[in-house]
Amino acid sequence: MEYLALLMFACICLMLLIGYPVALTLAGTSLLFAGVAALFGAFDTSYLSAFPSRIYGILNNQTLLAVPLFVFMGAVLEKAQIAEKLLTSMAQLFSRFPGGLAISVTIVGMLLAASTGIVGATVVTMGLLSLPTMLKRGYDTSLSTGVICATGTLGQIIPPSIALVLLGDVLSNAYQRAQLDMGNFNPDTVSVGDLFAGAVLPGLLLVVLYIAYIVIVTWVKPEMAPASQQDSEKVSWRVLVSALLPPLMLMSIVLGSILTGYATPTEAAGVGAFGALVLAILQKQLTLVALQAVMQSTLKISSMVFMILIGASLFSLVFRGLGGETLIHGIFNDLPGGVITATIIVMVVIFLLGFILDFIEITFVVIPIVAPILLMMGLDPVWLGIMIAVNLQTSFLTPPFGFALFYLRGVADKSIKTLQIYKGVLPFILIQLIVLLALALFPQLATWLPDNLYP
Amino acid sequence: ACGEKDVAATNDVAPQKTYKWKLVTSWPKNFPGLGKGPEKFAKYVNDMSNGRLTIEVFGAGQLVPGFQVFDEVSTGGAQMGHSGAYYWKGKAPAASFFAAVPFGMNAQETNAWLHYGGGIELWRELYKPFGIIPMAGGNTGVQFAGWFNKEIKTIEDIDGLKMRIGGIGGEVFKRAGGVPVNMPGGEIFSSLQSGALDASEWVGPYNDNAFGFYKAAKYYYSSGWQEPQATLEFLINEQAFNALPADLQEIVTVAARAVNQDMLDEYTARNANALKTLVNQHNVQVRTFPEPVMAELKKLSSAVIADMAKQDPMVAKVWESYQSFYQDIRQYHKISEQAYYENRQ
Amino acid sequence: MFSLWLAKVVSFIDKLNETLGKLIAWLTLLIVVLTFFVVVLRYGFNIGSIALQESVLYAHATIFMLGAAYTLKHNGHVRVDVFYHRGSEKAQAWINLFGTVFLLFPVMIFMAWISSDFIAASWSILEKSREPGGLPLVYLNKTLIYALAFTLGLQGISEVGRNILILQGKLKIKNESMEQV
Ligand code: NA
Ligand code: NA
Repeated sequence: MEYLALLMFACICLMLLIGYPVALTLAGTSLLFAGVAALFGAFDTSYLSAFPSRIYGILNNQTLLAVPLFVFMGAVLEKAQIAEKLLTSMAQLFSRFPGGLAISVTIVGMLLAASTGIVGATVVTMGLLSLPTMLKRGYDTSLSTGVICATGTLGQIIPPSIALVLLGDVLSNAYQRAQLDMGNFNPDTVSVGDLFAGAVLPGLLLVVLYIAYIVIVTWVKPEMAPASQQDSEKVSWRVLVSALLPPLMLMSIVLGSILTGYATPTEAAGVGAFGALVLAILQKQLTLVALQAVMQSTLKISSMVFMILIGASLFSLVFRGLGGETLIHGIFNDLPGGVITATIIVMVVIFLLGFILDFIEITFVVIPIVAPILLMMGLDPVWLGIMIAVNLQTSFLTPPFGFALFYLRGVADKSIKTLQIYKGVLPFILIQLIVLLALALFPQLATWLPDNLYP
Repeated sequence: ACGEKDVAATNDVAPQKTYKWKLVTSWPKNFPGLGKGPEKFAKYVNDMSNGRLTIEVFGAGQLVPGFQVFDEVSTGGAQMGHSGAYYWKGKAPAASFFAAVPFGMNAQETNAWLHYGGGIELWRELYKPFGIIPMAGGNTGVQFAGWFNKEIKTIEDIDGLKMRIGGIGGEVFKRAGGVPVNMPGGEIFSSLQSGALDASEWVGPYNDNAFGFYKAAKYYYSSGWQEPQATLEFLINEQAFNALPADLQEIVTVAARAVNQDMLDEYTARNANALKTLVNQHNVQVRTFPEPVMAELKKLSSAVIADMAKQDPMVAKVWESYQSFYQDIRQYHKISEQAYYENRQ
Repeated sequence: MFSLWLAKVVSFIDKLNETLGKLIAWLTLLIVVLTFFVVVLRYGFNIGSIALQESVLYAHATIFMLGAAYTLKHNGHVRVDVFYHRGSEKAQAWINLFGTVFLLFPVMIFMAWISSDFIAASWSILEKSREPGGLPLVYLNKTLIYALAFTLGLQGISEVGRNILILQGKLKIKNESMEQV
């Protein structure tokens, strides 16, 4: 009977491929499954009565309140063209050096990621602004598209990040459950703030490796990223500084207050969003039309995220009612090789699911099932969270269904072949996997900063 | 006498009906103290009924979020719940009085009021419209006033103090000039560390030690004026209970009563040990509020409760019963328990 | 004749949810400003208001519960875009028609049905917050579940109509791109 739960999961994956909105597919398929199973006496329908209580729990989740606030902040930065200014002035400054344009794209991507980090917005902005410039200056198409896609996904891993907020919420519940189930009343709790701190070094490592890759490519094949011949472009330092200042300020307000523990992520998100609004007004970039675009985009993204959460909560009720959790526990406990095998399997499964599912679905559907088991095997929650986050970030880049690739395809010139984009991201996927491996071998990369910030 | 006839005779008896219940709680599964209560209850019932009534316990969030226990039992999604009545203040203001009353009775006295002073009857009356039968389901004993990063020397020190504190105690704290802050459990710790919170109350040494508060706050204040005891509750869906045969109903009732006492015993034993650990190993500084601070808080408590009684007739009714029992027991305990506490020093 | 009537229904529902969405969108600005104030009041003036904190949460909940229909109308709910975007206009219409009838409608009807006791119980006692100084409006907050089921269900009716019209060749699909995080 327990295998019904796995059958349901498989059916949902198939149904999802049809392409109807994920939230409703998750909820609808689960509901149909529960109904059919109940007809055969294989499902206790009283599980379903917990649904309204669960929705109400979602309505009152204070941690997740950070989601619309961060989205709002990102939307303001995008619509107020703060990113655009930064990109243009950095490009002017660095295009004189071989590989300089690619490196400035990476650095701008990092700065945007550290101020908020909506992947779609970053990739689209850079795809519209930098891609034509890079191609005009003779950059290799694959290299250019690869750099843009990869740096665009940095927003996922470099805090503040919505992915980390969602993961933090799921993991803190899982961690508490795991510790108590073990009878180990270890005082540690894991919060969104811990994950933010844990993601800083791996995020920076990614940036460093991206840049290292660009430098090596430029050195080996200078024709792939030539220096600009035009001397006419005079760089005004004043313009650069004024372009750099807003994101740097927001970054220090948001990240600073979270990492020092002075504000909860939700509070910091609110202050950051307000700050972005003030900056946009000061720069006279915020028209009523732009504001409405910001608000409507925030509304749509929030609805999208929370509807998936509601759909996933119905899924998990039915999954539990069908005995799925017990089944997964059994499978993992019988694995030879213990925690290492279990971790590798989970990471591979997440990586593979990443080809078809979004990070939100994976976070809400898969992580709550597997995380408590892994944590009970003694894994560090911050380390596990960062491993999952880097893994999910990679799924944005993996062809054919990586979202970053879709966004870039959407704005890139038709003359650029999709295959060139795929080829371009391959080295970056490799870098992601190297960082995953580094994290596996040196967990301190993720745990050192939170351990020292919050001893 | 061969066995054949006996076998036939037992075969004639219809197989006894078995029941499977769900019990949802407001605590994480296996949470020290609080979470152990429902686990023990389920085991007692299963053993005593020889498996005829089996109860599956769900931690907070496994089936429903911790604060949704009441709704879930009321609508019958789960047959039972384990929680604390002060969480239902928004549904029935009088509920708080069955959990904890600032400067009210201690555990021994509260149990006496509930079971021999008319308390449980009022409690049943209160939950009747929701289709729920309440039973006392454990007690933490006297709690601690909380973890503070600022010393409290006068009542003015409470002014502007940001503290996580709920229940009637939260209202009192607010009137004393404090700022009650609402915050998810997972964020209390880091907020105390960073100064986003100045103080937080939790339970007592046993639970607080496990939560690691000593890493985030300097002073540990006793005694818990806001919760001189805290009664936990079993919530039972009325229809489900009435559908049980009489013997199973009795088993449920007795098991609840056993857990009610058992939890108090466990807290009493473990609190003492945990406080030793906190003081000796973690160098926690234990403090008490000065007399005038306590006197002021007591005055404010009476005012808050009087206001609550004015606004809600059921509060007035419960408070009257509570108070009249309290007056008598206080007089009696002054010359018995209290006198003995002083004598034995 | 039928198509004309159908088009009218579609446009009526669309206008309703469009207006609602544009109104609700202002709440996103409100939660930003209110959260900022909560922080300033607490850190700057040692003033804390649980009512204010709860207002932010209520507004936040209203955004995604009442904004879901608007989001559906604007194709904002993420899809697994493996085959969908390669399909013809008619294929997409079939998928949307199938999904609305067999996934959206059952879920919304079930949601309203299973929540009815839950919400009615809250209304019957005009449930208040359990926090000191919290809002006495818990029953309104819970009613958002009905509001979601109703507005999203209504938008579902419009989607059915629209997709039938598309299949009849009487309407062009408008391909608004999905918003992304
Ligand atoms: Na970010
Ligand atoms: Na307490």
